[in-house]
Amino acid sequence: MEYLERKVNDMEIKQKLTSLLHSRIFQIIIFGLAILVILPVIITDNFFLYVLTLICIFSIYAASWNFLANSGQGSLGHAAFLGLGGFSSALIGTSISNGINGLLGTVIMPIGALSVTIQILVLIVGGLISAGIGFLIGLACVRLKAWYLAMVTFGFSVIASTLSSQFDAITNGINGFAPTTLVPRGFPFYILVLSFTVTSIAVMYLIMKSRTGLAFRAIHGNEEEAKMIGINTAKYKLIAFVISTFFAGIAGGLNVYFLRFVDNSIFAPANSFLPLIMSVIGGLGTVIGPIIGSVFWVSIQQILALPSVADYLHSSLGGFFPGLSNVGPPISLIAIGIIIVVIVIFEPKGLVALLQKVYNYIMLKTKSKAEIKPK
Amino acid sequence: MDITAPTIMLTLIWGLAIGCIYILLATGLNIIFGVMKLVNFAHGQLLMISAYLSWTISVSAGLNAYAAILVSMVIVAFIGILVERLTFRRVLGTDKLNEIFVSLGLIYIFENIAMLIWGTNSLQIPSPLSGLNLYFSGVSITYDRVVAVFVVIAALIAFGLLIKKTKIGLAMRATSQIKNTAMLMGINVEKIYMITFALGAALAAVAGGLYGIIFSFNYQVGAMPTIIAFAIIILGGLGSIKGAIVGGLLYGITEQLATLFINGTWGSAVAFALLIVVLIIRPHGIFGEKGE
Repeated sequence: MEYLERKVNDMEIKQKLTSLLHSRIFQIIIFGLAILVILPVIITDNFFLYVLTLICIFSIYAASWNFLANSGQGSLGHAAFLGLGGFSSALIGTSISNGINGLLGTVIMPIGALSVTIQILVLIVGGLISAGIGFLIGLACVRLKAWYLAMVTFGFSVIASTLSSQFDAITNGINGFAPTTLVPRGFPFYILVLSFTVTSIAVMYLIMKSRTGLAFRAIHGNEEEAKMIGINTAKYKLIAFVISTFFAGIAGGLNVYFLRFVDNSIFAPANSFLPLIMSVIGGLGTVIGPIIGSVFWVSIQQILALPSVADYLHSSLGGFFPGLSNVGPPISLIAIGIIIVVIVIFEPKGLVALLQKVYNYIMLKTKSKAEIKPK
Repeated sequence: MDITAPTIMLTLIWGLAIGCIYILLATGLNIIFGVMKLVNFAHGQLLMISAYLSWTISVSAGLNAYAAILVSMVIVAFIGILVERLTFRRVLGTDKLNEIFVSLGLIYIFENIAMLIWGTNSLQIPSPLSGLNLYFSGVSITYDRVVAVFVVIAALIAFGLLIKKTKIGLAMRATSQIKNTAMLMGINVEKIYMITFALGAALAAVAGGLYGIIFSFNYQVGAMPTIIAFAIIILGGLGSIKGAIVGGLLYGITEQLATLFINGTWGSAVAFALLIVVLIIRPHGIFGEKGE
């Protein structure tokens, strides 16, 4: 009997897998991934690679925030975990490579399978430390709602910033420091980031699709009702908090190793607001939303920072604003502010929903044309 | 600095002046929350805009700095009305997170518009009383800080009278209790919302003018006071004006004492640690009711 049940289960899983493999979305994802890997090989432009890497890192960060928001908890202090992951992985990675260098007697870290393994482990440890602190903070946060929670998480990022500058002897938080390079910059590091991004987002997606994810959505929908149907809301909120802070820590570690520098400005409120803005612009509560949001944000920032665009803006608008040397950043931020307000008011599901509508509209048009033509 | 009786006295008076500015901001936030059940995280940006407006009015029009505050109060109240009608009214009653998102968008808009118009340099409003000090028992304090305390007291009394004695105040109190019943009693709730927001913005404008006279400011100055004001009203309990006043004074004095006794950088960290401890023990603040 048990055997039979197991067999049925196996068959179900197999069926699910085959249907997944044949589904349109899965093919699109594989196709997209192939493009993401091949494109940097064809276009060997450093700037292009830089932008792609940045987008990937921010996608993890925004997705981790979005994951938490999906359980009804809006954090205003995610920079605390970005910084925790960044600082701890940078410190641990540097001391490990120093130790190995001491043993081997070389000054330069041998680049190879060993350093890549160390890099991956160090990033995961950074995520785990972030998640550990996240667990403690989550214990304090599960009873709080909306702005109380926002305030407390924000407070933790302020405290984290203060601690990193107070214990400067350990953290070098005030002047900052550069972690030892473990994976060379450029294509190798991009592949590392890309694999972390794909794994993280896939894991978060699978959790959201599981029973646990269902509980998160129930809590988001109505916490009292969720409690009434027997969901241990405190437990699930804590789980969401720990998972989210884990991935935020990993994003922090990647960010630090990518920029090759970390100081306590990583705890700045602007960094806490970033994933929130990306998720809102892209589409709250969706998998693709944070990715689209980070593509949008990074593109706007980088396009406006291009020398030609900055020069054009300065020559055309600089005359109106004599107090500034560069009018690009404030104008882009005003635009982003307006976009956020407009999206929240008119299209709360973000750019994803907008793209979906455009897609549907085009499909409808082509379909109706195809239907009309034969007649 | 040696810790002697006069320095402690001085610290307390400084704390009082700073606390008064926080109280104004916190009261504005609180009245908006009380009536509309809305938290405007961009409240400090109104303070910042008002500081800049007062600066422009007093420098370019040559008006007395304190008179300039009155003018900027009116302008900022109109900005408040605009903000309420165009943005917050549309997300009211939807997910609470939406209010935070809209506020964040507004923060970006306000800060960068201010940066475009007034540049990135720090400014300070030239006060007619600058350079004048008040001496007593061996400590000196600038007249501006003393005047600030009295301006805040006057503003709070006027505000209290408006809430307690006028028909509009009555309508506001009714709306804050039960919105639907107030509507049934013939109160135009949307109009009350508009007035409330304008009133909150005007209080922030007074705080901004005083801030600009006492401290130098730039376009980023709004963020921290909002957070502090919010921490204060959470400590005192959302919606409780008395809690805001007590919390504001406590906060200003504690911050100054922490700066004196421990270290300047610890000020906000200690304050937030206190806030977190309070919220862990009482998730709705010290005087807060378990509504919502």
